[in-house]
Amino acid sequence: MKALLIAHNTFREATRDRVLLGVVVAGLVMLGLTQILTPLALGEGPRLTVDLGLSGISMLGLLVVVMVGTSLVGKEIERRTIYNLLSRPIARPVYLIGKWIGLSGALWVMVGTLTVALWLLLCGSGLAPYGPAVLEAAFLAGLELTVVTAVAVLFSALSTPVLSALYTLGLYCAGQWSYDLRGFAHQFPAGLGTTIGVVANLVPNLPLFNVRSLAAACQLAPPAQLGLATLYAALYCACVLSLAAAAFESRDFK
Amino acid sequence: MQISIGLHHQRRFSGRPSAEGSPDPGLAVRTQGLTKSYRSPWTGRVQRGVEDLDLEVRRGEIMGYLGPNGAGKTTTLKVLTGLHRASRGRAWILGEPVEKSSSRRRLGFLPEQPYFYDHLNGVEYLELAGRLSELSAEDAHQRARHWLGRVGLGDRPLLGLRKYSKGMLQRLGLAAALLHEPELLILDEPMSGLDPFGRRDVRELILEQRQRGATVLFSSHILPDVEMLCDRVAIVLEGRLNRVATVGELVEGSGQTIEIRCSGKPALEIPEKLRATLESRQHPHETVFTLNHEPRLPDVLQWLLEAGVNVRAVTPQRATLEELFLAAAEGGNEPGQDRRKVA
Repeated sequence: MKALLIAHNTFREATRDRVLLGVVVAGLVMLGLTQILTPLALGEGPRLTVDLGLSGISMLGLLVVVMVGTSLVGKEIERRTIYNLLSRPIARPVYLIGKWIGLSGALWVMVGTLTVALWLLLCGSGLAPYGPAVLEAAFLAGLELTVVTAVAVLFSALSTPVLSALYTLGLYCAGQWSYDLRGFAHQFPAGLGTTIGVVANLVPNLPLFNVRSLAAACQLAPPAQLGLATLYAALYCACVLSLAAAAFESRDFK
Repeated sequence: MQISIGLHHQRRFSGRPSAEGSPDPGLAVRTQGLTKSYRSPWTGRVQRGVEDLDLEVRRGEIMGYLGPNGAGKTTTLKVLTGLHRASRGRAWILGEPVEKSSSRRRLGFLPEQPYFYDHLNGVEYLELAGRLSELSAEDAHQRARHWLGRVGLGDRPLLGLRKYSKGMLQRLGLAAALLHEPELLILDEPMSGLDPFGRRDVRELILEQRQRGATVLFSSHILPDVEMLCDRVAIVLEGRLNRVATVGELVEGSGQTIEIRCSGKPALEIPEKLRATLESRQHPHETVFTLNHEPRLPDVLQWLLEAGVNVRAVTPQRATLEELFLAAAEGGNEPGQDRRKVA
């Protein structure tokens, strides 16, 4: 219950912040620009619109995570607003979970708004059949952002905003290349290969959430992938937030 | 809906002893060998916050927590409110160990120079504070409006906190600390940043809290306020508890002098038998004698009157809390000793 109160406050903070509004406006402008590029796409207009639209949603979401999420806890400590919360009967893990839920909620609203705009654009262009595939891809993009937000909360609870932004971006990139890392692991001698393999399994498996190319071809992802991705996101977030809570438990707020 | 402050108060102040906690249910705060030190991650140097602190605050009293800057006051208060973890020793609040978040259920805390969320207005912030202190949504809303008015911010309840002045933020912080009628109030420099009217209001609020049975522990550098409010004061120096006593005990123990003011500048020489106990100072329009041994007062007065001196006033002098504190802080052995002499 208290996690939801903190989540509500975080959501309110994120949605009243100009960053989120600016990102939504930028997303809408970007969707409009895809219509200018369509005539140059040599018959690949629908693919271009869907692919650019979904990629834009993911990238803009990542921008919000980096700009807001990585300072989510650090800013509260720096500005000492955390005193007002943690001097009340709130366990520290509950506080972190609340922050994560709040920002994730704001990101889902952003993803939802831009997805609806993309869908309206597709309908207006006579491409309504792409709707379900786009919806599915946007759902997975939202899950991906939820996972990255958990990572941002972890680093934000442990480090300064600048460092946590760098760490989060680093882990995001490593996560995007996690399949390649696994492939690399087989090409190295046993010791190093095993280490790379372990790292590849520890970083978030973000390609699992990427079905943009399927959506651009108007194809649905297998339901099993949706289920697996949802389960993976839930488990990964639980592990990362548990780690964050354990590290945050002994922290002093100066 | 009416705000059920009275009923609420009776219900919560039933004196219910805690199942787990400090042995004495008559204590609102207890620390036992409490030590907090900080290790620099870069140099490895250990910096002391507080050391072996044994502090007891009785239920229902107002205790002032005094010390110079860096003495460990804020560190102690942060450990008690769960913002810092103790390095060694233990602490309890209302019978519950401070490590448990439930210990803060009946606690109200005002941090030093409080900061709040810029994206909220006064009512929204107090509602959030009330809800986090386990009030229902409706109760939190009612109390938010009530307390905003009570601390003098009720005329613009929807003003964004980013537009609040320092004094307004301090008042809002106090309202947030009092909103849920806590049994224990911990206030870190509650008068800081307030004008004389604000200080008076805060003093009245603190006294009101005692009247309803709450315990108040507060740190302050404004010693006249401490003297006016506190049942007892604890003085902490360099991280260690130096002294705990009532203001009366401190002042009584400080010794007493008597000041005798006389008109003009009489050309008098203090008799031999009074020289050990009497000093004189010449001022432009008067002479002031200071007697440090009360039983010699009749002798002194008789001598002055026989010499034809116009005695205007005879006033007993007590050391103020400020003088006592400064003497203690500067290492004076005698409370009330003139700090200039100590130095």
